[in-house]
Amino acid sequence: MRDLAEKLIAWGKAEGAGEIEVSVVEGREFSVDIRRGKIENLVEAGSRVLGLRVIKDKKTAFAGSSDLSLGTLRRLVRNAVRRAELAEPDEYSGLAPLTPSTVDAASLRLYDPEVPAIDAKTKIGLALETERIALKDKRITNSYGASFMSDEARIVLVNSNGFVGEYGQTYCGLSVGLQAGGTNDRVEDSWSSSKRFFKDLAPPEEVAKKAVARTVRQLHPRKIKTKNVPVIFEPTMTSWLMGFLFSCISGIAIYQKASFLTDKLGQRIGNRLINVVDDGLIPKELGSRPFDSDGVPSRRTVVVDKGVLKNYICNTYAARKLNLATTGNADGGGVSPNNFFLEPGKHAPEEIIKSTKEGLCLIRTLGHGLNSVTGDISRGAFGLWIEDGEIAYPVSEITISGNLGTLLKSVEMVGRDLEFLSPVTGPTLKVAEMTVAGE
Amino acid sequence: MARMRNVPEPLPFVDHFGLSKEDLRTTLVFALSRGGDFAEVFLEYRAYDFIHMEDDIIKETAETIGVGMGIRVLSGDKTGFGYTNDLSLEKVQKAALTAASIASGKFKSTPLRFRHPSRRPSCCPVLRPAHMAGMEKRIALVREAYGAAKSFDLKIQKVKASLQNSVQYVIVANSEGLLVRDVRPMVRLTCVAIAGKDGRREFGYWGGGGRAGLEVFKDVFTPHRIGEEAAREAVLLLDAVDAPAGEMPIVLSPGHSGVLIHEAVGHLLEADFNRKKTSIFWNKMGRKVGTEQVTIYDDPTIPHSRGSYDIDDEGTVPRKTLLIEKGIVRGLLQDRLSAGLMKRPLTGHGRRQDFSHWPIPRMANTYIDRGEYARDEILASVRKGFYVESLQGGQVEDSGKFTFSVSLGRLIEDGRLTSPVKQATLIGTNIDVLKNLIMVGSDLAFGLQTGTCSKEGQDVPVNDGCPTMKISRMTVGGQR
Repeated sequence: MRDLAEKLIAWGKAEGAGEIEVSVVEGREFSVDIRRGKIENLVEAGSRVLGLRVIKDKKTAFAGSSDLSLGTLRRLVRNAVRRAELAEPDEYSGLAPLTPSTVDAASLRLYDPEVPAIDAKTKIGLALETERIALKDKRITNSYGASFMSDEARIVLVNSNGFVGEYGQTYCGLSVGLQAGGTNDRVEDSWSSSKRFFKDLAPPEEVAKKAVARTVRQLHPRKIKTKNVPVIFEPTMTSWLMGFLFSCISGIAIYQKASFLTDKLGQRIGNRLINVVDDGLIPKELGSRPFDSDGVPSRRTVVVDKGVLKNYICNTYAARKLNLATTGNADGGGVSPNNFFLEPGKHAPEEIIKSTKEGLCLIRTLGHGLNSVTGDISRGAFGLWIEDGEIAYPVSEITISGNLGTLLKSVEMVGRDLEFLSPVTGPTLKVAEMTVAGE
Repeated sequence: MARMRNVPEPLPFVDHFGLSKEDLRTTLVFALSRGGDFAEVFLEYRAYDFIHMEDDIIKETAETIGVGMGIRVLSGDKTGFGYTNDLSLEKVQKAALTAASIASGKFKSTPLRFRHPSRRPSCCPVLRPAHMAGMEKRIALVREAYGAAKSFDLKIQKVKASLQNSVQYVIVANSEGLLVRDVRPMVRLTCVAIAGKDGRREFGYWGGGGRAGLEVFKDVFTPHRIGEEAAREAVLLLDAVDAPAGEMPIVLSPGHSGVLIHEAVGHLLEADFNRKKTSIFWNKMGRKVGTEQVTIYDDPTIPHSRGSYDIDDEGTVPRKTLLIEKGIVRGLLQDRLSAGLMKRPLTGHGRRQDFSHWPIPRMANTYIDRGEYARDEILASVRKGFYVESLQGGQVEDSGKFTFSVSLGRLIEDGRLTSPVKQATLIGTNIDVLKNLIMVGSDLAFGLQTGTCSKEGQDVPVNDGCPTMKISRMTVGGQR
């Protein structure tokens, strides 16, 4: 693959490209879905895809192909150079300068040799076992099925500034989705475990029990009157809030003035409980990688320190536009998080619930309703109503609304329960007030 | 290649895929080698182009080629699936054997002779295929939309405009002897504008396109209008008030609000959710679930609509499908697997994102049919309520709970539209909404032709439509 990349770079140069970058990703995937004790779908496949960036006189063109025949690639390189000529010069364009990396890909432990070696029977067995345990619970009335997925990929990146990088990674996941209740009062939820190493994956028992508990706790929901109350975010909900924060501090949104956090570097955007980090170097985690798609070494970046905005997350291009340094978060033409998380606080989640006289514990949301230009949040929601420090009953058909800027300044408690269930994550969180709309 | 849809052409095996009919036949035999009931090869070649303008310059362009084959084997209700983007016979047959492993029996030998069913004329004949137009012509469209947005108002601070066009060549061959091909063009021109005033910023979005060539930008969706409408929405939102919160009467704008029907009804009438009994509709066929006002169709044959196609991704010729008739559930959107297991006729709604996914029942162009009310009559009936002008999208779960996000709304006061309202979410249960849909207007219109629907990790282009409609009460999630 590296030879192919080098060949394309030579072709691009010969066609007149000033700079050229080639990435190749080769992957193999396996997945099995089982439902009600039987296999529903079984997939096994391999794929290769190549990406190309060409810059000529500060003018940029991209290309990609899953057809790796040399004839197609040759035409693609030629077209890309011709298209670059038709674009307009952008003084901020261009590859990242070659910087020596101190990151040792092997120490990141992204590849588990055990994953490609697991036999199909074991994988199918894990999915079957997970669903079987979940369906033993009489309150569960239907199943969306359980799945086991695994894949391995090899990523190669070469560019004309002399960067050559390569690494392998693996992934495996076990999940189950469930319904409880009768036809007209159904509730649903799911749970999953995703890891790079097979031996770190949660056992079927744990995934099943968690999915059951999350589903049945929503049974027999009530509607509530519209109210402004404190809201507690469970870790999975803090995850989406962090995802929204990421889209608002992404260097691309900032230079495009498409974020309410534009021009806020060095300013207070939250209270002292807010500490947010992006870290691409945590061994074994799903958001770790040795270098980004610009070939820039990964690093740890403090984003918010005690409520003060310290860094925007940038690729090489956004960094140049903003006159900042890249944070090593390039992903194709865009910017993506590595392990992006809210640092844990000191409270146990139970303590946070206990502290709430009346409020909503948010457990799921539905829909879109995030506007990074204004920071406005408005989403369908499911939750548990809290009265006198205890969970009283589930609520549904409600919406929550507020503004991320206001929420960050009104965080009252941060839990100590940080787990990397996904690369963008955080612990339990309590904010002073949101509008919960019901009847 | 131009006007390819009406003219019979030789199957371009060698051109795009390098596989002969004989290769396909042996591949299908490999796929059934362990006794599967049905096997199907899906070959795809897709060329996608992208032009992006920002900061007053044509900042980047992209060209992406996707080629590959997906093969599936059905055995009862089980699916075995493999795919590859290496179309060498060796890799193709290896994928066939992978898919075959879902079954565990002996090959049932059946002679396989391919037939080429006769086809009706295309619903989307193309005059000026975008992939054949010169780059300069396409760049000019993007510049025009960008310029119209930028010069709309001094408050416009930032504009982005993009043109996307693609052409997808597919071949479907199955063990029942079907061998069909299709060529599917698509265009989409979109514009985002950001307006600012006194430290406040808002964005507006507009776009247009369809399963069509560049001729679609000639009249309704002119680049100028696309740019101007995006800018107009952004500027209008600068003076928008926070949305009200609580239950109230809702009036939905024609066209754009079709996404409500897509979420509230369409998904839950996809056959797979009903076969598995996870949809709230599974036991409601023939039963009344809504008011007399509600008649809903999904029609994949609407000329040049973004959700249209001449054959679905299983090779079935689609038909306009009645889903709800005067409030009574009448039909489901079927793919081959569900139709077979439920013993129902095919409707031509088996779609897939690309060769690396298997087909599942999907919507195409979903709409609520025109009713009898005049728009003014509907608005006049509301003393105090909320009007939905444009939407960001929605989501539904099988229980029937759904939301959709309003990017621009209006207050209704004494039957008239007043202050613009920003960002709000509507939430409801589909059965409640169908029962509360008390007035349907006569002004049926369709959406912007830029929509994409996601289900089980697969994205497909769709469109939807509706006339002006009134829902007697629904929860608006605002901030006051």
